[in-house]
Formats: sequence, structure tokens, C-alpha cells
Amino acid sequence: MAAPSKATVVLKAVKKITVQFCPFESNVRSTREFLNLVGSEKARATNMNCEVIPVVKHDKSEPVVDITYVDGEKLLMKGANLTSSEMLSAFQSRCVAKDPQAKVGEKK
Amino acid sequence: MAATLCSKLLPKQGWLPLTQSVRHGSKAVTRHRKPLHIQKQKLLAVTQYIPPAREFPPGAYPSQTKHVQEDNDLTLLMKRELKKLFEDCKMIAVVQNSSSSAEDMMTLRHRLYKHNITVKFFPNKVVRSFLSDSIYCNMGLLFVGPTVMFVSKEPKVKEMLTTLRGSPQMTLLGACIDNTLLSAQGIVSYSKLPSMTVIQGEVVSGLSMLTSHTAYLLQRHPAHLSQLLQQYIKQQSSDGSAEAAPKAEEAT
Repeated sequence: MAAPSKATVVLKAVKKITVQFCPFESNVRSTREFLNLVGSEKARATNMNCEVIPVVKHDKSEPVVDITYVDGEKLLMKGANLTSSEMLSAFQSRCVAKDPQAKVGEKK
Repeated sequence: MAATLCSKLLPKQGWLPLTQSVRHGSKAVTRHRKPLHIQKQKLLAVTQYIPPAREFPPGAYPSQTKHVQEDNDLTLLMKRELKKLFEDCKMIAVVQNSSSSAEDMMTLRHRLYKHNITVKFFPNKVVRSFLSDSIYCNMGLLFVGPTVMFVSKEPKVKEMLTTLRGSPQMTLLGACIDNTLLSAQGIVSYSKLPSMTVIQGEVVSGLSMLTSHTAYLLQRHPAHLSQLLQQYIKQQSSDGSAEAAPKAEEAT
């Protein structure tokens, strides 16, 4: 669960990521891991305009990851029963789908 | 079944023997699966492994005996340090850092050290096992993932919050201040509380307000009476002096 398929997380197509969780619940582990992966220095370096905002609450609510893309689309992930690798793969697949041309241009 | 040429059979060099045993059949290493010898086949069939029959699949029920690992010496040392920490320091805050480079960490530690707040790193397993034994068992849930502990003897919450606002990667999860577990919002409201002397003054003034009100009510009537009498005396004395003045003027 530590290393996803791609080592780097590319945030080029993302405008804002809000990670909301309640640390005293027991189902927040995957959400916290996702926050670590997305908020790492490497990921932030790919896009300096993207904001990663963690919100800590105490109301026994479910952990939720809210991602806003550059073109306005929103992705809402409820992390209570998901693993971090599942969340990351879903997130990355959408990123790649939105930004394939830029990626292909980079690789070439 | 290799054909071996003995030196005795060949008296002269280069003389091939009359009979040569030729290998037939396949060699030891073949590309296809060589059929086993019947004896070997029988032996394997007899000595085949039959696993014991399980009533339920292995993951269905939780294991009855929990495997308790004995603490090695390093763990014991860390636990002792943790115990001392919890006894000494009034404020222990748990912060998650999703990522911060070494420089960021150093600047943060420097800023916190000015306010006498130290940053401690402990392995999560050790901390959780220690907390589950002590009274702070509910704090154990916080220690998941990369967490850092900020400890200090004096609860300087405001300074800590201002310092943490400077580094965006740090997420404040919770704190244990004066043996009370606080959440993130609890910490913010704790920082907004006024100091102890102010609160004490407020409490004392609130309690004494009622008693002073009662005393005022009791003394109201005699106070009013004494005021009226004083006013009367003044008036009398002013009338007397007013009469005496024109009389003196008439006389002179």
C-alpha cells in the first residue's frame, strides 16, 4: 500500500485538493496516507499553483477528499472504505485522461 | 550408461574398441518432462503430503491468542523517555507533516525552540503500545502515519499556532494539555482563553456582585434618611445665616 504504480504524482491538471478527516476515528488511515502522497514535495513541485488543504474536524464525519480540476470538474472520494492505492489510482487515471497531451509531450 | 574407454583395452593409441555401448533413451536433462521410473512413481504416490482438514478458512475468525512481542531494550528505553515526557510536559501536541524538507524542519524547530517547544520523533508502534497501557489510551488513534510530537512545559498554544500557520504542510491533529485531550478546534478555543488571573478576577467580581447588591438594598433607607437630614440641616443653616446677614446689614 506504500508504493503506487507510478512513483510521482503529477498535479498539473489539478486546481485544489481538500482533504477532510477526523483524526480520532479509526477509518482515516487511507485518507491520511493519500494526503501524504499528494502533499509531498515532489507532487507540489509539479504544480505550484495547486493548493493542498487539509481540514481537521472532530464531528465523527467520514473522511472525504475533494479534488477540483482546472477545467472545473470535481472528484469526490469518500475514504472510509477505500485504500490509499485505490484512491491514488482513481485520481491519477483521471489526471492522465485530462492531460494526456502534456504528458506525452513531456515524455517525448 | 556412458561409454567409458579404458586405457587397458586400447593398447595402442587411436584404436577404437570392438564394442561400444551407445546411449539409448533420453539423457538426464531433457527438454520434455521425462517419465518417472515406476519405483519412483510409486514412492511419490505413497509419501504424498495430505494437509490436515480445516473446519473454517484461515481468515474467517480472529486468532484467539494474540502474538505479544516482548519489548526489546530500545523500546523500553523509548517508553521510559515517553513516560518522563508525559510527566514533565504540560502540553503535548500531535502534528502530521505530509512532507517537509530538512530546511523547513530546521526553521520550524528553530522558531519553536524560541518559545521553549521541542520537537520529538518516536516510532508509532512504541507510542501506541505505551499509550494503551497508560491513561492516555484515546490518544493512540492519532498516531497513524508520519507524525511528529511537539512538547513543552508551558502550554504556549498561541505561539505554536502562529508558527504552524507559517508552514502549510503541518496539520495539527490534537493535543493533550494539562491531561485533557483536545481536538483541533479545542486547541484554537483554548488559545483564545484569557489568562488565569483575569478569569479569577471575573469570577470573584461576579460572586461579590450579588452580596454587594444585597448590602446596598439593606442600607438604602438609612442612607436616604441621613441624606435628607443633612440636606435639612444645610438648609436651616443657610436660612439662619441668610437671616443673620440682612439683620447685620440692617443693624449697621
